[in-house]
Amino acid sequence: MKEQYVDSFLKAVQDVFALMLDLRAEKTNEENVDKFVTTDGANVTIGIRGDLSGTVLFTFPEKMALEMVKIMAGMEIDKLDNFVVSALSEVANIISGNALSNLNGYNYSCDLDPPQVVDAGKAIPAGKEAVRLPLKTGIGEFALNIALEEDDKTGK
Amino acid sequence: MLSKDKYKIGVALIDQQHQELFRRVADFIATVRGQGDWEERLAKVKATLAFMQEYVVTHFADEEAYQASINYPGLAAHKQIHDSFKQEVEQYAEKFAATGFNEDLIQSFAGKLMAWLINHVAREDQRIGEFARQEVRSNERTIC
Repeated sequence: MKEQYVDSFLKAVQDVFALMLDLRAEKTNEENVDKFVTTDGANVTIGIRGDLSGTVLFTFPEKMALEMVKIMAGMEIDKLDNFVVSALSEVANIISGNALSNLNGYNYSCDLDPPQVVDAGKAIPAGKEAVRLPLKTGIGEFALNIALEEDDKTGK
Repeated sequence: MLSKDKYKIGVALIDQQHQELFRRVADFIATVRGQGDWEERLAKVKATLAFMQEYVVTHFADEEAYQASINYPGLAAHKQIHDSFKQEVEQYAEKFAATGFNEDLIQSFAGKLMAWLINHVAREDQRIGEFARQEVRSNERTIC
């Protein structure tokens, strides 16, 4: 997978985490995968269309998901309910929107589909070009999974 | 506390309205996530929703008027974000009415509203403040 794709998403995660959560997010690894595996917590996938097509999947373990929403809401959050999952879906949406702006800087024009929540314990086929990035933060580790392929017609 | 000092943009009217918006959203979340029978909490949820629908429109209009008053170059794009969000709130309101104010749906709306508001105020609205401060500095240099 092109470094530009990974960097665009990584930078977006880091910007949004700093802005909304006052947290640093560091990539600890990058591995090629052929399927995406969901966690026991909140799993959000977003489709990408345009010059590049594919999907991203954010997998937030339960403890980290609750802590993220606690930081945003400023109140105790102890249950992974619709409120928590919806807040994290919007965070995933904001990160992906920022990533698309970054990709636009490399002359890729893309659109996002609305976020979809995926159940825990699923293995989703990821396509040819897919990577998993574990990201470490002060409140736990989550993973950003990216499957992106260039549209043949763009010729970039 | 939903609101943070770093969200202030340095324009008194806008900052006051953001404070009110954050306070109302925090109350809304507390009610939506509170204990007790949903039907009993529903009256407060409906009242808060109605207030926010109205207040969001007023706030967006005031914020856009301020942007126009300082010739903010991002006004058109900012207005588009506001319009798109207002439309989304309206769609949620229609779904609430159609589903008899389903608790799960309102929980989802509250989560999205919170994250959207934080990002919008912390990112998009900050740009208005930065531009206003730049303009002041530029005018000061011209006067000198």
